[in-house]
Amino acid sequence: MSARAAPDRQDPMRIQVSRTGGFAGIARRHEVDTGGRADAAEWQALAEEALRSARDTPPTGVPDGFRYAITVGDRTVYCADPDLTGAQRTLISRVLKEGA
Amino acid sequence: MHLRTDGDLHPVFCTIVPPHVLDHLSRSADARLADPARRTLAADGLRRDRRRATALAAVPTTPGVGAVPTKPHRTLYDCGNGTTLPGRKVRDEGDKPTSDASVNRAYAGLGATFELLLSAYGRSSIDGKGLPLIGSVHYGEEYNNAFFDGEQMVFGDGDGEIFLDFTVAVDVIAHELAHGLTQHTANLRYEGQSGALNESVSDVFGSLVKQYSLGQSAEQADWLIGAGLLAPRVSGDALRSMKAPGTAYDDDVLGKDPQPGSMADYIETEEDNGGVHLNSGIPNRAFHLLATALGGNSWERAGQIWFDVLTGGELTANADFAQFARLTVAAAGDRFGAADEREAVLKAWSEVGVPTKA
Ligand SMILES: [Zn+2]
Repeated sequence: MSARAAPDRQDPMRIQVSRTGGFAGIARRHEVDTGGRADAAEWQALAEEALRSARDTPPTGVPDGFRYAITVGDRTVYCADPDLTGAQRTLISRVLKEGA
Repeated sequence: MHLRTDGDLHPVFCTIVPPHVLDHLSRSADARLADPARRTLAADGLRRDRRRATALAAVPTTPGVGAVPTKPHRTLYDCGNGTTLPGRKVRDEGDKPTSDASVNRAYAGLGATFELLLSAYGRSSIDGKGLPLIGSVHYGEEYNNAFFDGEQMVFGDGDGEIFLDFTVAVDVIAHELAHGLTQHTANLRYEGQSGALNESVSDVFGSLVKQYSLGQSAEQADWLIGAGLLAPRVSGDALRSMKAPGTAYDDDVLGKDPQPGSMADYIETEEDNGGVHLNSGIPNRAFHLLATALGGNSWERAGQIWFDVLTGGELTANADFAQFARLTVAAAGDRFGAADEREAVLKAWSEVGVPTKA
């Protein structure tokens, strides 16, 4: 990720991703706190893109498909496989991989 | 019986054996397992051919329109680790096996499911009209899942850390295809108890396809869903156990298998559409209890009762466990009379705490 951040005009942001459902029915939950991260601006841009045109209620989804809840700050949106936008897919995989 | 290693479906009268099963058998150093399995398969071939001939006679045909297909039409696609569906076409019905084991396993698994539906229940594909079967493999990167998107099956490769390739287990392939069967029949709403029934029906037919492919009786079957799917480092046998829900795995990363096996432990949750993959353990165990009480081949009597309920037109989309249970009692009576089968159905539901009286 880019190191070009502007921490002075960025509020630290918590990005949470919860994944439920799936064939195994095993839930995963991770979050990234952008505070103090050099790539905070990039995370913020990705999160905003992921939230754009996202639903405020969970979609029904498809049998065995993963369901996701993405929380950025105080807003939570929902999406489900396989109907994710590119930004949602990228954000989900990064948070689930990098998040604590 | 001729065991084919390419996973192809031999025209009309041949038992299919998925390559992974052959592979497993051939690699099995334990003669106690391998030899009886081979003998069972060989002995079962003739009986199965006879059964199939009977079932085929029962397949409805529409005069003037042509017979309902009695052979599958499978098409496999490769997503190349992308997420665009269906991906690139790599194997069509009748094509030679490819060099990709995932493609060949999915092809064989779809064939095995088609075979059970036709041979045991006289149904041509999931819609009863020979609907072509579509599967995509190598979906996403290290994707730890498989699903049915309403039109086709989708399989990930797994990350190798927790899950292996989702095509390695024939019951998983059949489970996905059974979601299509449910969609074309009772169309159980994927939420709460009807959703758990939807899941359970997929586990039941997933396991039946595996048992049928291996020629296993209820006593011989492992009653596991996703055996072989967990990576070697994971402590567990499979993803679910129909025989003993809650015992399939216990691992430091995955946690412990959370499935309940009776209504006393029913899980109320908002997640997973109301715990559809959790509470399915309850009807799963009821099916196992019935199948083992009846003995013999599970797909014959126990499977027939479940199939009759799923396809009979009375099961509602928002059915709860009790409605499903009552209908299985009625279906057992309709098909087998006031006999052992009906008593065994009542007992199975009673053991898992689901009422069968209105
Ligand atoms: Zn399922």
